[in-house]
Amino acid sequence: MTAASQQITKSSKAKRKAKGEFEPRIVAFCCNWCSYAGADLAGTSRMQMPPNARIIRVNCTGRINVSFILDALHQGADGVLISGCHPGDCHYTSGNLKMQGRFTLLRHLVKEAGLHPDRVHLQWASAAEGDVFTQGITAMVERIKKIGPNKVKER
Amino acid sequence: MTEEKTVKIAPVTRLEGHGELTLKIGVDGKVKDVQFNVSSTRFFEKFLEGRFGEEAVRIAPRICGICPEPHHLASTKAVEAAWRITPPPAAVKLRRLLINAKQFSSHAIHFFALAAPDFLAGPLGDPAKRNVVAIIKALPDVGKMALQMMQFGQDLCAAVGGKAIHPVTSIPGGIMHPFSEEKRDEYLKRSEDALEWTTATVDLAKKVVQDYWDPITKLAIVPTYYLGMHNNGKHEIYDGKLRVMDPDGKIVADFKPKDYRKYYGEYVANHSYATHVYYKPEGYPKGIWRANTLARCNVVDEMTTPLAQEALKEMRDALGRPIHATFAYHWARIIELVQSLEEIVGLLKDPDIVSADIKLADVAPRKGDGVGCVEAPRGTLIHHYWTDERGIITRANMIVATNNNIAGLEKSLLTTARQIFEDNALDDLKLPEPMI
Amino acid sequence: MAKRIALAQLSSCWGCDQSLVDLHLGLLDVLPKLDIVFWPTVVDYKLADLEALPNRSVHIGMVEGSCRTKEDLHLLKVMREKCKTLVAWGSCSIFGGVQGLANQWDLKELLERKFIQAETVTDPRIPDENMPGFTEHITPNPQIVECDVLLPGCPPTSENTLDALTALLTNKPFDLPTKTVCDQCPMERKEKHIKKFKRNYEGNIEAGKCILDQGYLCLGFATMGLCGAQCPSVTTPCKGCFGPTPIMSDHGAKIISALGAVAEMEPEELKGSFPDPIGSFYFTDYAASYLSKMRGKERGQEH
Ligand code: SF4
Ligand code: SF4
Ligand code: SF4
Ligand code: FES
Repeated sequence: MTAASQQITKSSKAKRKAKGEFEPRIVAFCCNWCSYAGADLAGTSRMQMPPNARIIRVNCTGRINVSFILDALHQGADGVLISGCHPGDCHYTSGNLKMQGRFTLLRHLVKEAGLHPDRVHLQWASAAEGDVFTQGITAMVERIKKIGPNKVKER
Repeated sequence: MTEEKTVKIAPVTRLEGHGELTLKIGVDGKVKDVQFNVSSTRFFEKFLEGRFGEEAVRIAPRICGICPEPHHLASTKAVEAAWRITPPPAAVKLRRLLINAKQFSSHAIHFFALAAPDFLAGPLGDPAKRNVVAIIKALPDVGKMALQMMQFGQDLCAAVGGKAIHPVTSIPGGIMHPFSEEKRDEYLKRSEDALEWTTATVDLAKKVVQDYWDPITKLAIVPTYYLGMHNNGKHEIYDGKLRVMDPDGKIVADFKPKDYRKYYGEYVANHSYATHVYYKPEGYPKGIWRANTLARCNVVDEMTTPLAQEALKEMRDALGRPIHATFAYHWARIIELVQSLEEIVGLLKDPDIVSADIKLADVAPRKGDGVGCVEAPRGTLIHHYWTDERGIITRANMIVATNNNIAGLEKSLLTTARQIFEDNALDDLKLPEPMI
Repeated sequence: MAKRIALAQLSSCWGCDQSLVDLHLGLLDVLPKLDIVFWPTVVDYKLADLEALPNRSVHIGMVEGSCRTKEDLHLLKVMREKCKTLVAWGSCSIFGGVQGLANQWDLKELLERKFIQAETVTDPRIPDENMPGFTEHITPNPQIVECDVLLPGCPPTSENTLDALTALLTNKPFDLPTKTVCDQCPMERKEKHIKKFKRNYEGNIEAGKCILDQGYLCLGFATMGLCGAQCPSVTTPCKGCFGPTPIMSDHGAKIISALGAVAEMEPEELKGSFPDPIGSFYFTDYAASYLSKMRGKERGQEH
């Protein structure tokens, strides 16, 4: 370990920021029925969750307008996470499956446009799976940290 | 004059494409250089990459809104060549109808809107009067006829291509939509009027030739090579071989378009975003060639139709072959105008034109490359695409019609500028009284 | 009294211009109402003539094309200064046009392909004598200067342009429709069960029936309905050249949303049908998309 990195380990988040360490901003679209309940559970049971995500509640992932996802990136989000019910559990039967098709195309589009495709991510988490939800957020933060900041922000 | 002078004309008007003219006049008053600065390009060769071959056919027309049909067809032919497919004969006839309809409207527009203002208002006329709008006001009959001719061609383009500007019906394997009998009858009927207008235009052009005999035969005489398509020696615009004629009138090359790279060179002039295409074996600038109306009429042995052939003979009797007089481009344009109408009528009378057998259903893309070549109104046009096994374009090279003419145009402008500024050629020229 | 009008072309194909000329005899009614102060295709006035006019002295300015060169940027700004009402004329002007597809690459790659690597180029170099230089990125004109009226289409039909001009000449508003090409399309529509997307050359499209229902990507549902459904009327899929309706913020997003709803296919299979989502979903409006705007910011587009 070098001297510089030793310093970082003992510093606070604010100090890390001052040192220029990257704290991703994640927008998470969460379905009301499963994932948002999971997020709630994660909160009430005080599971450890990185503070990087802004959670937006939607009725069903099938109702997410694809342009909101692109707009979030355009406004500087480093990553967008979409969290919905497990296949078969969607409150509106197949909203999540529609989202899955859209997401696959969207991710492909994002990649073709020259952005890292991992900036967008789709996960399933049920109402009881607060842990799955938090792990999902943590993994998303890690993914984005590897990719680096959304360059739109810098200008 | 004590210092070198640069005269800039921006933009060059009554010409499609973005151009400026830079003239350099030396201390001695001599014209040192003429630059035609083509000031824009949009990089189609790059952004076609990654697209489906059949979608390139929709993108390519946007290279030129004045002549989208040739691009639509050259693009289709390039994909078909790469995928090694041959469209049904009736589809080819519809494509010929489409390209001739464009040839007709483009030549009419060019003659009346871009060239005639100089003849009718006089080349030195007031800029406010030297345009087609003023012609319409001053000579309403000529104006009206010009508009009707353009409309006939454009409407026919739309009838075959779906849209006159950026047609859509041509596709690798054929044509998407049949031409109905009602439409055939309608256009046969309308072609009778078109023939009348065309005859009147020929008469008008003859008068212009007489009136302007002096400048035609004295100004801007520029020997160059010439490039044009032919089919067994006959004039051709949809599918044929390419001929190159040298300034003495000798055919120095006769080749299939797919071999174009042996004969075509693109000189990148430092002052133009449009490259100067030339006859590669001779090098640049010796191999400067011109395409377009006069070039085609120079390289072919004969026209395909009787009235046009008569008109070609008349021009050759008057000016010989090859003709280097730049103003004769307008004359050749009228000859081709006549031929395109005769071709249109012939195609409309062909029973195949209303055939429903116009598209292959079992086209399969493949990896390869293909060249699509047609004659656009302004010259030979080449699209060359490479596709992968899914039929996606991996590489594209395009040589658009106008680029064949830029070096020749500069040469011609330099010659004329010298004649005007150094030899005061205008003083001795016999010019008629302007009609408006 | 005739209103003063200026018509300017930035980098474009001139098709919008041609579409106005294609009013043909209809021009005889319109022209007397117009006093043309700038229109390089037709009239011999020069840029200096336009620059010399007092600011805001031209009633109507029509701008065709997009800013591919720095000269285009200059002309666009001059037009904005001189004209009271500025019309972004055609999809190039409003959305960046087909050349917006070039935003997938950096300018350097575009220049190299054209001037350095092209098969037939014999003396590679990038021209820079008396040349304006290029913009790094295509930016739609309304993001560069304020545009008062938007008239989309590649090109707008002659009637579209006439309607807009007539509205402007009579001081009426010219509003864009929220209806789509499907609303204008004569094809018979059924419930959609798309099991496979076919390429346009595959099989034969049956006339009279909705092309999308038959499994071909027809973008009428996501495209502004102004053209009269020209392409489906000749059994050819709509590629969306009039751009999205005013209530859709991103053309591709709208198309992806709809495909997710109508395609009865595995996600991977759906993705496999569209290996080129940019070319397939943003024919003439990629430069106006969120993703392209992001690249533009990265590239530090200059206005
Ligand atoms: S919008 Fe289309 S028709 Fe108009 S200039 Fe652009 S490419 Fe040409
Ligand atoms: S999808 Fe196409 S064919 Fe079907 S109704 Fe809409 S525009 Fe017409
Ligand atoms: S149908 Fe679609 S592609 Fe065709 S002209 Fe209309 S909007 Fe453009
Ligand atoms: S209700 Fe949760 S994804 Fe549809």
